[in-house]
Amino acid sequence: MFKRILLRFRDMKTIGKLIPGADEQANIAGEEKPGAEHFVLSALNLEDGTARRAFEKFGVDSAKFQEAIKVQYDEALSSVSIAQEAIEITPEPIKSDKVVHDSQPSGQNLMKSLYALKKKDKERPLLGAHIIIVAASIEHGVIPRAFKVLGVDRGLLAKAAREELDAVQH
Amino acid sequence: MSDIKSLPSSKTPEKVLAAVVAMRRAADQLERKAVKEAIEQGWSWSDVAEALGVSKQAAHKRHAAHIKNARVKLGKNNV
Repeated sequence: MFKRILLRFRDMKTIGKLIPGADEQANIAGEEKPGAEHFVLSALNLEDGTARRAFEKFGVDSAKFQEAIKVQYDEALSSVSIAQEAIEITPEPIKSDKVVHDSQPSGQNLMKSLYALKKKDKERPLLGAHIIIVAASIEHGVIPRAFKVLGVDRGLLAKAAREELDAVQH
Repeated sequence: MSDIKSLPSSKTPEKVLAAVVAMRRAADQLERKAVKEAIEQGWSWSDVAEALGVSKQAAHKRHAAHIKNARVKLGKNNV
């Protein structure tokens, strides 16, 4: 019982870092609200290091994932004959002063799936690898397109993230 | 209604939807930049709203905070 309370307290602390981290990543990219990809970037910065290590197995780090996000946007614009250079949009970082957190729908869905996953995994604290497992399960949108750019197989990434979870002592 | 010629075939919805998301994001960022520039050049919020085809309240709500924050960051508090 006491262990559960401690775990819950730790999870709240992790969420307290994950969400502001996602907000920050979105604002750096010039977006008002974080999407699922910004939660992944935030997870890569979490102190437990499980998300970062799962990515490292594929030779990917935070900078490479950020670049892949940019590339998939550029490719999508190219597919409609718009060159990113042609419209000269360099995302300007946003300095947000909002008090209440709000995410893009993809970010909200990621958090819902994360809650469902964590509900099944009550013995472990919330870790970055949990977020990677959820991200790897997303079939459409920016995240799977970025993984495609990186040549990362989503199933293998989820497996790597699960191994990271298993390596953490209960 | 005919399709936009430069869009990928609608038989590949993943590609078309990715293009829509990218264009929407690019449009948002272009709008933010242009509004900031307009306000810095002395446009009123009414002018900006008219040019964007939205209400003054909508334009202000969407952009005022960012512009204010950007100015504070630059040390310009005269917003």
